[in-house]
Amino acid sequence: MNGILKHLIGIENPKVLVVGMTGKQGQGRTKMMMKMGVEILAGCTPGKGGQTVLDKPVFNNAKEAVAAHPQINCAVMYVPAPAVKAAAMDAMDAGIKFSVLTADGVPTHDEVVLKEYSKERGATYLGPNTVGMLDTAGYLFGLIGGSATWAKQNYLPGCVGVISRSGGLSQLLGAFHCRPNLPGPREDGTFGPLWGEKYPGVTAVMCTGGDPMPGVTMLDAARAFQKDERTKVIVAYGETGSSQENDLADAVKSGEITKPIIVFLGGMYTKAGVAQSHAGAMIRNEYETYAFKRKAMEDAGITVVERPDAVFAQTAKVLGL
Amino acid sequence: MSALPEYKTRVLLENEGVPLVPGAFFEAGAPLPDALPEPPIYIKAQIPGATSRAAHGLVRRCDTTEQLETGLKQLLAPGDWGQAEGVLAADAVKMTGEYYAACMLDFGTADKLPRGVMLFSTEGGSGVEQRTDSLRKISFSLLKPPNTDELTAKLDGVPDAVPAAKFLESFIKTFIRYKLIVLEANPIGVLEDGSLLVVDCRAEFENSAVGKKDRDLFAAPATAREDKTRLERLVEKVNEADPAGTGFIRENREPAPEGAWRVATNLCGGGGKMLWEMTTGAREDIYTMNESDTSGGLSAFKSYRVLRAILEMKDSQVLLLTGSGMGFQNQYHLAAAMWKALRESAAPLPALLRFGGTDEDKARDLIEKIAPTLSTPIKTYMPHIFPNAMVDDIPEMAAAQRIQTTPELLPDGEPSFSVDVPPGDFFYYPEKWDKEEAPPCVAACPNNFLAWNAEKRVVEPVEGARCIGCLICETVSLLEGAGELRIKLDMPEVE
Repeated sequence: MNGILKHLIGIENPKVLVVGMTGKQGQGRTKMMMKMGVEILAGCTPGKGGQTVLDKPVFNNAKEAVAAHPQINCAVMYVPAPAVKAAAMDAMDAGIKFSVLTADGVPTHDEVVLKEYSKERGATYLGPNTVGMLDTAGYLFGLIGGSATWAKQNYLPGCVGVISRSGGLSQLLGAFHCRPNLPGPREDGTFGPLWGEKYPGVTAVMCTGGDPMPGVTMLDAARAFQKDERTKVIVAYGETGSSQENDLADAVKSGEITKPIIVFLGGMYTKAGVAQSHAGAMIRNEYETYAFKRKAMEDAGITVVERPDAVFAQTAKVLGL
Repeated sequence: MSALPEYKTRVLLENEGVPLVPGAFFEAGAPLPDALPEPPIYIKAQIPGATSRAAHGLVRRCDTTEQLETGLKQLLAPGDWGQAEGVLAADAVKMTGEYYAACMLDFGTADKLPRGVMLFSTEGGSGVEQRTDSLRKISFSLLKPPNTDELTAKLDGVPDAVPAAKFLESFIKTFIRYKLIVLEANPIGVLEDGSLLVVDCRAEFENSAVGKKDRDLFAAPATAREDKTRLERLVEKVNEADPAGTGFIRENREPAPEGAWRVATNLCGGGGKMLWEMTTGAREDIYTMNESDTSGGLSAFKSYRVLRAILEMKDSQVLLLTGSGMGFQNQYHLAAAMWKALRESAAPLPALLRFGGTDEDKARDLIEKIAPTLSTPIKTYMPHIFPNAMVDDIPEMAAAQRIQTTPELLPDGEPSFSVDVPPGDFFYYPEKWDKEEAPPCVAACPNNFLAWNAEKRVVEPVEGARCIGCLICETVSLLEGAGELRIKLDMPEVE
């Protein structure tokens, strides 16, 4: 399978362990992933080893699961925030190279520890505080799309790679690129269809999450899209807080990322030090402000727009639709 | 981020063996003990997040018992500073020097891993922020924190470096154990024998990082809880009874500018809030009545209760709601909650509603179908219309005066059956459904929670099945049936 994970972490055929599969959300989302065609080999929940859920064996931890199913290479976690650190470390110790951490409210200390721990083990993870990711090559991790039916109808193969620090906006930026005749504001000030029946479509949608220290950063995701032959344009939602947009700008400036990038940048009115929409959007220094990030990205040649519906006209322009 | 006052920060440090200046805490509202500490002593009002306390008279030196009694009485009573949680009385110790230490997090960049950072100075005390040249920056791993030897090596030139390093090792352990965002001690007193002890300290923490066993220690004081409005406390109670998903409101404390449109909002998720901020941040003609967030895996029962709270804000002129993208919330369920809240409210608001996500078309169809039955105007939007375009319609919608109306009568008496999670009471009225076959609400349930008992001619819950609180049974009963199934969602009582 030629999906984005191949370029992100070298995984061509994701084989998944669902951590927290015995819980209500875990089971619901596992069903959704299975309907999307994701190959789920097992689940795990401490103390629930030996059960069978949705015809999949449940183990007590990732090590036991991987011992029984050595093909497992991804973990998708539906565990509460306080348990995320231990669960993610368990998965990494078991040799799993890619995890998706959906929980919101993971302590910042735990995120610092996970960054160091994953680096030492050559692993990475999406999130925390993410709705997950999907690839139109045939997989979906997390809860993006809401339901398998909806996801199948709304995320269609194409050439746009989507990166977002917001769950809602990652889905919206992805799905609207897959709608024929999408109406929206045009650059000339008129409003109407931005393309015809042939929509741009998406390659993959990656929600890097709303926290200050995501495992996969916007730059990591952009690097993967840069290598992905299907992706012609990268569309992103960025905001204040963290160095992610500045790092992305540096990579474009240095020539590492050459594909066109369109960013809807949020936080124009965000005040420093004030808790904002996402935990990661809080401004801690001058480099994390809207103004600094916007200038850095525009200087690097990234197209920055101020409103979400302006993204799609820019995509049409880049693709010549 | 929340601030922890000095007397509580001392408990954290003490638990990791960090030496402290001897002291005693006197809680506001509690009687003073018969035996007070011996002067000379410093008394310090305990106010989370307060800075420059000495300059504001909140730290006082007492050299006599009389001064101590008077000072305690004054600082324990409400003053210009509000109500302190209490007063910390700390011994006046003889120091030969003052050090400074603070731990925080470095969030890292693409090239640098995030880590802990300690700032340390041998020139602590007042004005340390002006002596930045004296600060050493010691970066450390949270995964493998530094030991005494490693810290000693970083304290080159510091007199008595080994005891200082030992002190800092425990200080860092405290920072890590409680997952603090900031831990600061200033000054750290240097005693004649070279030992160190914390004279003053403070901490900042994340609520989500507080472990179960530490919740009492980190709990907000009663004074902070009293700052919440009635509606905010109401939504808190909604969350207590139905914790799944996010339901949050915070009313705007700033006065509305004259002539501005007063907009109540229900925005879903962090992205929704950011879109609203981008749209209205520079608009002086739009006053946002409240922050709100209904997102995550919340039920329509909970959405209804949060919406009812939002509709209770009496000065609002219009409601703007945007759906939650395409993750958790089924938009049809959210629309059902919106309809119920509007028809059961005594003063429904003119509303601008945009649904975006799963079943967005069904949601919009529902609202457009029932809109003529409501006493207030409703405008719906296609999902590709964002708040930046919706706001253009606010003046027109707000021009429709908000009217008091007679809300729909709620079911009364003993419910036919109830659901605990999410909480709701179901009332079935057999006299309204005289057909042999099941009413449409049964088939409408997406979770097969309802069954038709043909013999008794009633709708019943299915044993072992779960109600997800989507409100579709009642919605369908009203639109396609005869109103035979109704749901009563009690609102919490708050003073």
